[in-house]
Amino acid sequence: MTERLADHCGRLLAGLADRDKRIVALDGDLADSDGACHFALRHPSRFFMAGIAEQNMVSMAAGMATCGLRPFAFSFAAFLCYRAFDQIRISVSHTRQPVALIGSHSGGCTSRNGKTHAALNDIGMMTSLPHMQVWSPADAKDVSLALTNSLSGDSPVYIRTPRRPLDDLDGSAAAYRIFGSPQGIAIVATGLSTHLCLAASAILNNRGRSAFVLHVAQLAPLPALDLFEILSNSNSVFVVEDHSEYGGLAGAIRHLNSSLDVRSIGWPMMWAGESGDDESLLQAYALDATGIAETITAASLSRNAAGR
Amino acid sequence: MHTFNTELNQWEMRSCPTLEVLTEEARDLRSEIASSLFLAGGGHYGGALSVVDIILSLYRGVLRFDPKIPDHPKRDRFILSKGHAAIALYSVLRKLGFFLTPLELYGHFGSPLQGHPDMNTTKGIDFSTGSLGQGLSVGLGMAMGCPDAHSWVVLGDGECQEGQVWEAAMLASRYSVSNLHAVVDFNGFQEWGWHDDSRVHAESIEMMSAKWSAFGWSVFHVDGNDYASLIPTFRQMASCNFGPSVAIARTVKGKGFHMTEAHPRRFHCATLDKHQHEQLFEGLL
Repeated sequence: MTERLADHCGRLLAGLADRDKRIVALDGDLADSDGACHFALRHPSRFFMAGIAEQNMVSMAAGMATCGLRPFAFSFAAFLCYRAFDQIRISVSHTRQPVALIGSHSGGCTSRNGKTHAALNDIGMMTSLPHMQVWSPADAKDVSLALTNSLSGDSPVYIRTPRRPLDDLDGSAAAYRIFGSPQGIAIVATGLSTHLCLAASAILNNRGRSAFVLHVAQLAPLPALDLFEILSNSNSVFVVEDHSEYGGLAGAIRHLNSSLDVRSIGWPMMWAGESGDDESLLQAYALDATGIAETITAASLSRNAAGR
Repeated sequence: MHTFNTELNQWEMRSCPTLEVLTEEARDLRSEIASSLFLAGGGHYGGALSVVDIILSLYRGVLRFDPKIPDHPKRDRFILSKGHAAIALYSVLRKLGFFLTPLELYGHFGSPLQGHPDMNTTKGIDFSTGSLGQGLSVGLGMAMGCPDAHSWVVLGDGECQEGQVWEAAMLASRYSVSNLHAVVDFNGFQEWGWHDDSRVHAESIEMMSAKWSAFGWSVFHVDGNDYASLIPTFRQMASCNFGPSVAIARTVKGKGFHMTEAHPRRFHCATLDKHQHEQLFEGLL
């Protein structure tokens, strides 16, 4: 089913809350955009419109968590991570309170909204906080896993979802999923980029290049040993993400082992975001399927020419 | 002081010490605070000495808690949002029996008594603070999450310059959260402030009372270093049932020592050598 992951998240949470009375939701006045509306309509007495005041919302959620509640705080990824980062750091991460932060409209595809609404380094920020679990789902199944995982554990959690609706991918949700036979060119991706990389890998395979996609949904804690084992057979690793080329999944993959030859494909460091439709933006920075396939092809050719 | 009667499923009040006993107790705590800060190599004398009467009043006369069950789900919550006065809170919690760690270990490596309160290292700390402005929001969440308990949050007057305080104030009155109470330790000084700037008003927050009132809070005024004023006011606030309440507690920064009272800005955060420390104690009031 093609659905915005934020909507799926809100709808699923509303259903889970029928049975789990600990669940409450808070929202920074974006409920009909960030998915919280589904919870608000089904559980009005357990929904708190926190107003356009994300700092208060995050600390308040932490206070609620100390009373045994499981608060889910919704906003756009940009406003949660940037406006309330110190509150996340002090009130949620340091204290290890089980607050779930649901950041929609993550990444660079912000449509008309442009750079103020882009969250281009949220993965870097959130994965660098102690105790924080970070998910970057690519479909509704990933969202379901992240939510149930969050509720069965007691860690603070950040879930970033892209703005555009996404189809379900093949296979069952897990911390990571492999698409294709894990040999040849490894394309590691997360979130929206996983869909684009699956199309890119099809282009590469049609050109006779063997490529597979390793989708990573759980970015922290990273399933590091598994990922390294999968990638250790690949002579070239490309990490593609709807995130800055610095500080995101690519950095984490490089950190797995210095022997991996990792190339990062993300939004350029000097780009802050801008208005525009998804396809135009992705094409302009070669982050669409064709652009990704071309970048990987060119990089592979230059590697071969260099005798690597 | 209270204990929880499990048969009746309710808190039972024990007698509150007399004003004379509380005053004497506070004098001892101030000595412990100053000695500990000296051994720690310095710290926030001014704010700890101004706020200790507020904290002691709440714990001795108002809050329902049991030091033997520090995480009792029905306890009243206390948040020292001005976390830099941690040593004052530690001194009270230790006196009440929440822990035995000597205050001299304040701020030392490996000590549970961190420089700013840490709920994960120290029994009795209901929430970690230190980055100013977050405590009232946390208290609001606790008050909503535990409607049968009261949440008390102590803020500094300078801390009220943080915008988040007013975000929380707005939402608390919107939801009429009657079990949330704030106390502003209004000692009138912050680390640097505007006292040297002839262009502007020097007070940390102008029209403090009017601001809280405009945000929909019931406002009480109290002498923040006088137990005869503090405890009755706090009890009155606890029985307020038409939205959140705040006490503007006028205090003396560095209260209790001649030297710290005379130099409030120097003692916001200070380090003393042995001779100065001895001089400080010669002026214990």
